[in-house]
Amino acid sequence: MKEKNRVFGKLVIILLACFMFWSVMHLPPFGVFSEKGVAMYYIQNGLEKTGSANIVNSIVWDFRGYDTLGEETVLFTATIGVILIIRRKLNGRNR
Amino acid sequence: MDVIVKTISRILFPFILLVGAFIAFHGHLTPGGAFPAGAVIATGFALLVLVFREPDVEHKLTVSELIDLKSVSGIFLMILILSVGSLFRKELTELQTPLKLWSGGFTLFSNVTGMFMVITAIVLILYSLVRE
Repeated sequence: MKEKNRVFGKLVIILLACFMFWSVMHLPPFGVFSEKGVAMYYIQNGLEKTGSANIVNSIVWDFRGYDTLGEETVLFTATIGVILIIRRKLNGRNR
Repeated sequence: MDVIVKTISRILFPFILLVGAFIAFHGHLTPGGAFPAGAVIATGFALLVLVFREPDVEHKLTVSELIDLKSVSGIFLMILILSVGSLFRKELTELQTPLKLWSGGFTLFSNVTGMFMVITAIVLILYSLVRE
């Protein structure tokens, strides 16, 4: 049973490695601009879709809004962690 | 601290807040946005904490108020990004004129709310570290 699992695991790893090499080989060449990507869509439709003239802001808060929400969650968690670790010792007046 | 430093920082503090608010409210038109604006305003609070005594500053803006503000703005941001921003974006952008201050759809609201998130985070960490 254990021997079987090991062989199966090796097969899965080899398969995944083959997929990875295959997908890396089909990436667009490095440093070459392609018009089929999503960047051209952002540049052409950013203003009329979101109404924001600053394209960085429209990408950060609108097209990639989930990413920024996760960033804010990290910020929140870091702050709560610092308060919990440092304020615990102080026996502070307000919390 | 010295009297000169106290007076100058008392004069300078509203202008730091003004620059930060400008960066946040113009984030959808000019380079800037929520994170730089929050960093600028938190720098103003860092000046206050360093110049005046830390309990005096904390008496005006308490830790529980900051935590409340952070939680409310976090929930508002979550609602904005997860549901409202994608549902009513088209209707809101039709009401606005592009390249004016009242434009940008939901990025304007997100900028201001994200500014509050960054301010509260940095000021809370600053309070804790200075007290330590």
